[in-house]
Amino acid sequence: MANGNGPDRDSKAYSEFLSEAEEMLERLRGDLADLEDQRHDGGEVNPDLINGMFRSAHSLKGLSGMFGLDAIAGLAHHFEDTLDGLRLGRIALDSPQAGMIGNIIDLFGTVMASLGNEAEEDQMNASINELIANLEAGGTGTEEEDSQSVPRLLLDPTLMRALTEYEEHRLNENLRRHRIVLLVEAAFEILSFDEGLSELSSSIREVGEVISTLPSPGAAADSQIRFVLLVASDLDAPAMTRHIDSPNASVTAVPEDTGAASTETPAPAEKLEPPKAEPICAPPVHQQELSSLLVQADAPAPPPSSSVHYEESTSSAVDEEDAPHESPPPPGDGGRVPEEFSSLKSVSDTVRVDIRKLNELMNLVGELVMHRSAIGATVRTLSADAATARAGEDLGKTYKGLSRKLKDLQSSVLELRLVPLRQILDKLSRVVRRLRRELEKDVILELNGVDTELDKLMVEELVDPLVHLVRNSFDHGIEAADERVAAGKSEQGRIVIDAFQRGNHVVIQVTDDGRGIDPLAVRAKAEKMGVIVSGMELTRKEILDLVFHPGLSTRAEVTGTSGRGVGMDVVRENIKEMGGIVTIDSDLGKGTVTSLTLPVTLAIIQSLIVGSSDQFYAIPLNAVLETLLIDANEIQSSEQQELLNLRGEPLTLRSLSDEFGLPRAEDAEQVYVVVIGIGESRLGLIVDRLEGQQDTVLKPIQGPIGEVRGISGATEISEHGAVLVLDVAAIVEDTLRRRDLR
Amino acid sequence: MQHVLIVEDSATMRSLIASTLEDLDVPVKITEAASGFEALHCLPRDPFDLIVTDINMPDINGLELVSFIKSNATYRGIPLVIVSTEGAERDRAKGMELGADAYLVKPFEPEEFCSVIMELLAQPKQER
Repeated sequence: MANGNGPDRDSKAYSEFLSEAEEMLERLRGDLADLEDQRHDGGEVNPDLINGMFRSAHSLKGLSGMFGLDAIAGLAHHFEDTLDGLRLGRIALDSPQAGMIGNIIDLFGTVMASLGNEAEEDQMNASINELIANLEAGGTGTEEEDSQSVPRLLLDPTLMRALTEYEEHRLNENLRRHRIVLLVEAAFEILSFDEGLSELSSSIREVGEVISTLPSPGAAADSQIRFVLLVASDLDAPAMTRHIDSPNASVTAVPEDTGAASTETPAPAEKLEPPKAEPICAPPVHQQELSSLLVQADAPAPPPSSSVHYEESTSSAVDEEDAPHESPPPPGDGGRVPEEFSSLKSVSDTVRVDIRKLNELMNLVGELVMHRSAIGATVRTLSADAATARAGEDLGKTYKGLSRKLKDLQSSVLELRLVPLRQILDKLSRVVRRLRRELEKDVILELNGVDTELDKLMVEELVDPLVHLVRNSFDHGIEAADERVAAGKSEQGRIVIDAFQRGNHVVIQVTDDGRGIDPLAVRAKAEKMGVIVSGMELTRKEILDLVFHPGLSTRAEVTGTSGRGVGMDVVRENIKEMGGIVTIDSDLGKGTVTSLTLPVTLAIIQSLIVGSSDQFYAIPLNAVLETLLIDANEIQSSEQQELLNLRGEPLTLRSLSDEFGLPRAEDAEQVYVVVIGIGESRLGLIVDRLEGQQDTVLKPIQGPIGEVRGISGATEISEHGAVLVLDVAAIVEDTLRRRDLR
Repeated sequence: MQHVLIVEDSATMRSLIASTLEDLDVPVKITEAASGFEALHCLPRDPFDLIVTDINMPDINGLELVSFIKSNATYRGIPLVIVSTEGAERDRAKGMELGADAYLVKPFEPEEFCSVIMELLAQPKQER
């Protein structure tokens, strides 16, 4: 299957591979961040972490090989070698090769993204070869010293045979550290062993390391399964028995092979000295917390907290506690269910579905909705005629029942597409951790509302803009420590991300307590660059809004952190494509708030159907604030713009006919105004008729009409056929900009 | 109908192995386990005719699974193939020592895989 003869790139397996590879890379990034944190905190690194990374690299190698992606397989092979060296102690964590792990993961990401693009693939292969050459230049590390002066044990040969090379290394490593090697045996009901075994393993991990878990025959009853756990700990057998405190587990010490020379074997008294600092072994203070958490893991899950303070735990552990470090648990790890337990759960409780399948389902629901509307029209026709009124009434009842069920179906399908923002917010906390190290700025990230849900497709698209905003805050917003202290602020900077639902929208705010944006400086720059006319009258908000202008948003000086050629204009563009808007507010010296306002989903939307001249348009209802019927003489004209005094506030008006160059209704005494708004911007749209509300499925338009600004797509409506759907964000923005430039 | 248990933590690899098996000349039924623990749950449920397992997995590794199967009177007769990535010669030797019937290196050629599988499935059951 290698060498290009692998499964087709159109195959289901290939797309599965892509998504699995992406998951693995994401996991690797997370593991790397944890690894760096653990090193940063001065403790030793949890061997399970490196072994987990090794497993990911190993799978990547096997998979890319199966698909004939030789260059990627080659990179994965070297990556695996490096991690293998690390986990077997042949390569030191501070070696140049280990330092390249981040680069390797990044390159994987880029290479995976370039798959399918031949030109890029070639270029990628060159980058891969270069990186591999660098890795090879670093050598393969020193030979392991496992066999040196390590006491030999009298272990059951069956058990020894089942140990992988890595597990053997862990055994020797523990022996070298003079830890006691124990066998813990326990029998469980075969139907539910996972839970009991996870509990036992976790309990052991509090005071030691589980090197191997061997299922064994020979349990008392057929319905049971017995496990032998090879364990290394500072506790001896009786102490371990007391610690585990379980009636069905027995602990025995593995006797040493007395025939072997073992001068280094520690005397029993030494073995009983208090545990040394070990990353694997949690400090006593944490033991109780951990076991109480484990109990909770068995109980029904509590409702997820909507506020998570990721960085707090690490920073307090590092800065405030003076304990010598016995590694604090990795951030966010407090409530983590033991690994085996969670991996099993995820397999049995969730189904992974290709988003395209959900789209198909959504389209089908959309079409059903259209048919329902057609039935509704028939009901009205039948009911209007006395001869068929009876039939109309009967059909009307069925129609109502159908409508209810259809609505349930629609919301269930919609719900499937919604995912919590947690996924991407977690990524951001990793970005911040990395920046904190790179820039040596002490900044904490606080996340609120991580369970706020948004359409899966949008969540993916939000990653880049949010990373950009956080980077901006970190790099340009938050001042250096001395500058902060001089300004009377705390040394530690703070970035807060709040996510919450507001009506049919989700709002995500990125707030920092940095230096803020100086409106005068922005204005000066805008004038210099000819973006605005010198001396033009602008409100503070309008000036701040200029940072989204392409010319102003890209900084002249490029920094490694935020100067990647992506400016605020790109952020605005990205958000606009999702039907949302970005606004910015800033208090000079105090900080900046950037708000993203997005529709919850793009799939099915409720629309208000309006008519102007002989045309019909659909306006997404989530953007409609209210509709008004006003006398034409209430409209005030000034400087070529029309305004309406709406409860004391001026509302800019725009005629839909003017927007699309249609003839305007002549001298109507009364006109309809649809007040639309997104974020904090408002606009009154003058239309000729209101036609009612409808569920609409937005479909993109191909060809030139698709390019027309102010139109986001088309939808089918039973009575009117295809109608255009207004892009409210674009219309509001264009009208307000026209007003500003006037 | 031959019933095959695939133990492999990568979903993609599981489907690749499954689709290779489905192309065999004999009809096969496939059960997939994403971890050693899942495999331990599957074993007592069905009488399997063949087991294909990876080595590097979370919870219990493939060698531990092989050791369990080959030392258990009920399962020891089931032919067992280890499929693992190259470079783990020591693990390979151990797997064979523990009683695995074959060892294949990923990436494997489907033809090679099929011929090994067919050979194992063709053995009369009592000799297993």
